[in-house]
Amino acid sequence: MNELIEELKIKIITTLNLIDVKPEEIDIHAQLVGGDLGLDSIDVLELVMMLEEDYGVIIDTKELGMAVFASLAALAEHVHQNRSEKND
Amino acid sequence: MNGLRIFITSMGIVSPFGEGIEKNLSTLREAVPALTPLQLFPSAHVPLPVGEIPFPIPHGNLPRTHVLAMMAAEEALKEAGGPPDAVVVGTTTGGMTATEEYLKQGEKDPVLYRHHAAGSVAEAIAARFGCRGPVLTVSTACSSGTAALKIALELLRSGKARRALAGGADALCRLTYYGFHSLQLVDPGGAHPFDSGRKGMSVGEGAAMFLLTAAAAPPDGAVAELLGGALTCDAHHPAAPHPSGEGARQAMKKALADAGVLREEIDYIHLHGTGTPENDLAEGRAVRALFDGRSVPPASSLKGAWGHSLAAAGAMGAAVSALAVREGFIPPNVGIQTPDPEIPLSPMDAFQTTDVRQVLVNSFGFGGNNAVLVLGHAGNGKGPVRVRENGESIPFYVHGRSCLTGAGDTDRTLDMLSRGENLKGMVPSSDMSKHLPAKAVRRLKRLSRMVLSLGISACAGKREGNLPRAIFFGTRWGALSETHDFLAKLFETDERLSSPTDFIGSVHNAPAGQAAIHFHAPGPNITITGCNGSFEQALFSAGLLCGEDPFLLVGADEYNEHLSPLFDPEASSAERTTDGGGALYLKREKGGATSRVAPVFTGFADAGESVIRKLIAELGGAARIRERFGLILSGIPASFREQAKRQEETFLAGTDYPHPLVDYRRFVGECASASAVATVLAVLFVEKGMVPAGLCGRTPADLGGRGILILGFGRHVTALEVTPC
Repeated sequence: MNELIEELKIKIITTLNLIDVKPEEIDIHAQLVGGDLGLDSIDVLELVMMLEEDYGVIIDTKELGMAVFASLAALAEHVHQNRSEKND
Repeated sequence: MNGLRIFITSMGIVSPFGEGIEKNLSTLREAVPALTPLQLFPSAHVPLPVGEIPFPIPHGNLPRTHVLAMMAAEEALKEAGGPPDAVVVGTTTGGMTATEEYLKQGEKDPVLYRHHAAGSVAEAIAARFGCRGPVLTVSTACSSGTAALKIALELLRSGKARRALAGGADALCRLTYYGFHSLQLVDPGGAHPFDSGRKGMSVGEGAAMFLLTAAAAPPDGAVAELLGGALTCDAHHPAAPHPSGEGARQAMKKALADAGVLREEIDYIHLHGTGTPENDLAEGRAVRALFDGRSVPPASSLKGAWGHSLAAAGAMGAAVSALAVREGFIPPNVGIQTPDPEIPLSPMDAFQTTDVRQVLVNSFGFGGNNAVLVLGHAGNGKGPVRVRENGESIPFYVHGRSCLTGAGDTDRTLDMLSRGENLKGMVPSSDMSKHLPAKAVRRLKRLSRMVLSLGISACAGKREGNLPRAIFFGTRWGALSETHDFLAKLFETDERLSSPTDFIGSVHNAPAGQAAIHFHAPGPNITITGCNGSFEQALFSAGLLCGEDPFLLVGADEYNEHLSPLFDPEASSAERTTDGGGALYLKREKGGATSRVAPVFTGFADAGESVIRKLIAELGGAARIRERFGLILSGIPASFREQAKRQEETFLAGTDYPHPLVDYRRFVGECASASAVATVLAVLFVEKGMVPAGLCGRTPADLGGRGILILGFGRHVTALEVTPC
């Protein structure tokens, strides 16, 4: 799980081009969207694409998105539960 | 001023309802929804409902958007008897329908991409009908068609044209179909605007064109009068409306004022109503706020019937609204079952026959662009009397300037010139991203960065209250990096995945939208595109639309290693790839300014060299040109070299011009926005009264208190003046 969290931190930084953020600065329990990282709904959609491509995880409703992107911890948990084997 | 009013003399439409005004009118009466699963190209997932033209479109040599636009133009000009004086077209896709097909197949032959530029739609129409006047392409996303009509309205009011063909066109293509899908803005069940269960829009296609005529009384068969219009910008978000709808309310309010119509006199509102939760809620709030407690007139959106045809949408809405006043009806809000109780509007649920005298037509787009028109019954006689007799160009004073070239920023550019070296090359990334805060620009690629950087430099030292309130942007190619990256991702994943960020960034007006957000500019936000003179045409448009407010004028183009060699004949012929641009911060007020610019001329040259005689006349004649300008900077694009040289010779022969003339592309390089750089340099030279050594001789040349004339030759001939003051 910790490995997945660290991996997701780096993927978030590269996917969203967060050039001034270091992985260790991301608090895994903090609010992911609308928090200190300055992420908004467009970033969420960009991460949705990354999750589908890299983990085979599909998030296609706003309700699911709100729960999944609540925090990095929640995101990692969701990816862990739902990732498809072929994408491991 | 004289007693002319602006009428819709005739119009043409092709839509998912079918071809022609009569067919569209009869389908409208039946209120039959025309959304069907996508058939135009194979889709990676279950095809989403779209508003697709229900019959085969003959392709020939032209891409689908061009053909749709041409069909609508043919109908509008069927009985016109002679070419229009101007053509103004709103489009976002241009040749994308063909381009993406060729890119998918890996085609590398630039000939295949010759209709890519958004400007080629208006050019095809202008060439077909022999137009010799201004040929402008407006790309302000989903408000493009409406913005084109507003610009044409002001062109006619200015007296620079008597008859203008204007409208909007967009065809379905992968970029927009998958783009809106990636933003999760598409309703898989089909759009049903203002319904409580709405989940989004349906992408559509179509075209609507209008022949607008300035006349003292309604011409025979006039459909309606174009009473007024207004453009504003939310300056809030690249892809979402401001939740309060304040920008939209301002646009409606200003449009009513422009038309001289009171809100109580509006009988029908043709809503933008895309069906996305955010748009419909914001629009409902805006309309409610406009009427401020009074009863709201009947209102409806047709996007549940024929989808959202993007740049064509506002023009198609204007066509329906013109029919509504001519025939006396209110169209239904097709698809609505349960009106959303959160939205303070009651859209019409059925076709209703009733007298309609004045209509408000709404249209909003990415970049927070709001465009609103007011149409009236042709026999109303309510039109404001504002047409000027002789379309003279009023100058703007220069209060700030900046450029980006292969040499770097303005200082480096001047330094390089003073050493007798040229400015060719790509803008260094350190200069491009200077002044840009990391958080603000992480989502911006090359062109948006350049434009924002140019804007910030041109407005350096301007404080709150004195910042630009409108943005005018000229670009031949728009954002190539995002366009390439979006399509590359799409094709790599067999059309399963595409980037929402790249989609938002790929629209031609994305850079201007970013500038508006940065400066909180609430006024018109106009992107003119598609030719080497787009910068000059952006200034020309500013001359038509800008009042007293300060504004930012930017011209810029990026070089993209994947797309530029395919699209841009200049880029592939140049010895060194070049990009960059220039920006001016302009005002009507002189203040401490020492130079001014005036948009003088833009004309379409396909019909021969008579355009040069017209150019000389509009510049005030040969004697004035000799007296007023100490230097001509002449734009001779490589791919139009023969035609452009001939035009230049005709100009020189017609004026006996005695002072130096320099081809600016020789030192700026073959960049589509080279004229923007040349204009900024001209401002710097005029302010010093000197031209540096090496440009027109071995020693610095004294301008003798004269100005500089910047001419652009090729398919479009343009002129702007930079003069001391």
